[in-house]
Amino acid sequence: METLQLTQGVVNAILLSGTLTLVAIGFSIVWGILNIINLAHGAFLMVGAYITYWLFTLYGVDPFLSLPISMLTMFVVGYMVQRYLINLVIRAPLLVTFLLTFALEIIIINLATFFWKGDLRSVTPDYAGLGFTIGDVQIPYVRLAAFVISLVLTGLLHVFMTYTKTGNAIRATGMDIDAARLQGVRIPQTYALTYALGTALAAGAGTLISISFPIDPTMGGAYTLRAFVICVLGGLGSIPGVILGALLFSFIEVFSGIWAPSLKDAIALLVLVLVLIFRPSGIAGKAFYH
Amino acid sequence: MSKRLLILIVVLLITVMALAACSKATTPAPAQEQTQEQTTEEKAPAGGEECKVVFGAAVSLTGKYAKEGEYVKNGYELYVEEINKQGGIPVGDKRCKVELKIYDDESNADRSAQLVEKLITEDKVTFLLGPYGSGNTFATTAIAEKYKVPMVEANGAATKIFNRGFKYSFAVLTPAPYYLRGIIDMALDKDPNLKTVAIVIENGAFALEVAQGAKDYAEEKGLDVVYFDKYAKAAKDVSSLITAMKSKNPDIVLGAGHLQDTILVMKQSKDLGLSPKVFGFSVGPTSPEFRKALGKDADYVVGAAQWTPELKYKSDDIFGTPQHFTELYKAKYGEIPPYQAAESAAALIAYQKAIEAAGSLDKDKVRDALAALDYDSFYGKLKFNEQGMNVYKPMAVMQNYTDGGLYTVWPKEAAVKEFLYPFVPWDQR
Repeated sequence: METLQLTQGVVNAILLSGTLTLVAIGFSIVWGILNIINLAHGAFLMVGAYITYWLFTLYGVDPFLSLPISMLTMFVVGYMVQRYLINLVIRAPLLVTFLLTFALEIIIINLATFFWKGDLRSVTPDYAGLGFTIGDVQIPYVRLAAFVISLVLTGLLHVFMTYTKTGNAIRATGMDIDAARLQGVRIPQTYALTYALGTALAAGAGTLISISFPIDPTMGGAYTLRAFVICVLGGLGSIPGVILGALLFSFIEVFSGIWAPSLKDAIALLVLVLVLIFRPSGIAGKAFYH
Repeated sequence: MSKRLLILIVVLLITVMALAACSKATTPAPAQEQTQEQTTEEKAPAGGEECKVVFGAAVSLTGKYAKEGEYVKNGYELYVEEINKQGGIPVGDKRCKVELKIYDDESNADRSAQLVEKLITEDKVTFLLGPYGSGNTFATTAIAEKYKVPMVEANGAATKIFNRGFKYSFAVLTPAPYYLRGIIDMALDKDPNLKTVAIVIENGAFALEVAQGAKDYAEEKGLDVVYFDKYAKAAKDVSSLITAMKSKNPDIVLGAGHLQDTILVMKQSKDLGLSPKVFGFSVGPTSPEFRKALGKDADYVVGAAQWTPELKYKSDDIFGTPQHFTELYKAKYGEIPPYQAAESAAALIAYQKAIEAAGSLDKDKVRDALAALDYDSFYGKLKFNEQGMNVYKPMAVMQNYTDGGLYTVWPKEAAVKEFLYPFVPWDQR
């Protein structure tokens, strides 16, 4: 294998891991705290991407500036969805919430296909595709920016979870719901807030993805699956675990893509199966969001 | 969470994803009763009163092929509108009005096959037209064959559709392995010193045949194929392949795929600084959508074309020339017709000429007339070999010009502009 492939591959993988961390972190907190495998995660991500696309296409809003808009909008949507829909069955077995979010995903994708059509779309600001080179290695500006923003958002989440009262309440709920309730944590609100956070992070990831990759209404499914694999790889309930999982997954994805492009997905899932067999608690083990 | 529960969830998740992706693959309905009903239609043209021909098709109006599907539908509709202005298709000594029945197959082959079955058994259409894409055409031609209803298709170029000994399937377009020949010829004509080719391929029926055909042809022409690999059908990221190609530093990069992945390959080639001397694709660069998605980055890119508005064909069909077809299309849809629209309209011309020759709407008589057809249309020669493929029509090449236009640059006798060469590297723009 030539050195360019190796060095460019390493850079690609690191840049990809930033975005994937952001994709997986929202999925991870919803799973860890609410015990919901949120299949609609990718659909929210897709809506976030479309918010950016439409703001850019119709009003010329710079995609990076649309990040707070898309995150805030989807925060509200996520809060509503959890409070008035998922909360109705939150005590039901895992399978029921699983199916509910699956149904949600299908509904969102179908509506998106209906209103926006199945076309592949691209957000193309003037600086898209520009970048700089170190040696022979290309580094596109937008991907570098997406990487940095992802890490900043992940850092903010860490600070929020560790140093704020609300963040502590969320973590407490995830550790022991009864003890948390006895301490005066209002569970329904905390749940809704957590879900809203997860949704907002998904939308943020969608915004960043839309700048580097083409988007369409069915784009989300692949990200839900990746988020799942990353959570399992990294272990549930830990932010460093998610980062580590995303990094590992990105390397697997990029290098299997170079060596055996048509087996890319199979290899990624094979790793998942191996981790489940040999280290089911994930690489970093279980912790609680700090 | 326990290990067993986790494994259970993984299994569930994968099943659900697989189900969602493949949609419902229901088994086809029992064929017996429907085949009887179908024969009752044959008396239709004999009656003195109103006569009509209904063409049915499942076309992708949503999903991955939504854009190409729209062009197909436009082509069908334009023909129907024009022929009905003249009173319809001549059958014997009268004219039959033409009707079109189109369903959306959601870019899904299983769905396409189900809908074609519905068109035959429930809607009782007279003849079938094709869907968009080789995968969907592969599935639907099998249904047409089962019920012995002719299908003239215009958008499935894979030869594997026609290697099954079917009697009722015909394609008006040039088969997949021939797609990229024009680009290779043109590149070598411009610069005989070109040495290496890299080929990226969408993992699907059509693209694989295009790629294999291009590889064989390139090697025959003395070029060295230095990269030849596939990406998944729904790929959203091909940067790994681009990186691998870049390390080979090829003179020519050829992409075998469709519009959406072609756009993706171009975007990421810019991201990663892949700049060969020629960028050519099987599908994509010739449609207006390509320019819309890429803007200035579409410059210099060439695409294979089944047909272009500038070709110099002359015919006595309702469109007459490519130029007249273009005028009519522009008036109705406001843009230059992509070749998908022209070939779709040509499928109906093939039907019309076969029906005229047969003097009947009988399915088997029209099938035989199709098999014997040899007609020069506005789209080029319409003639089928024993398998039902049109191997008699050459491919053209179009280039996205730096002035924002899209021009025919090959074959030389039909070229309106000279082939811009070489592709200007990304960092020098």
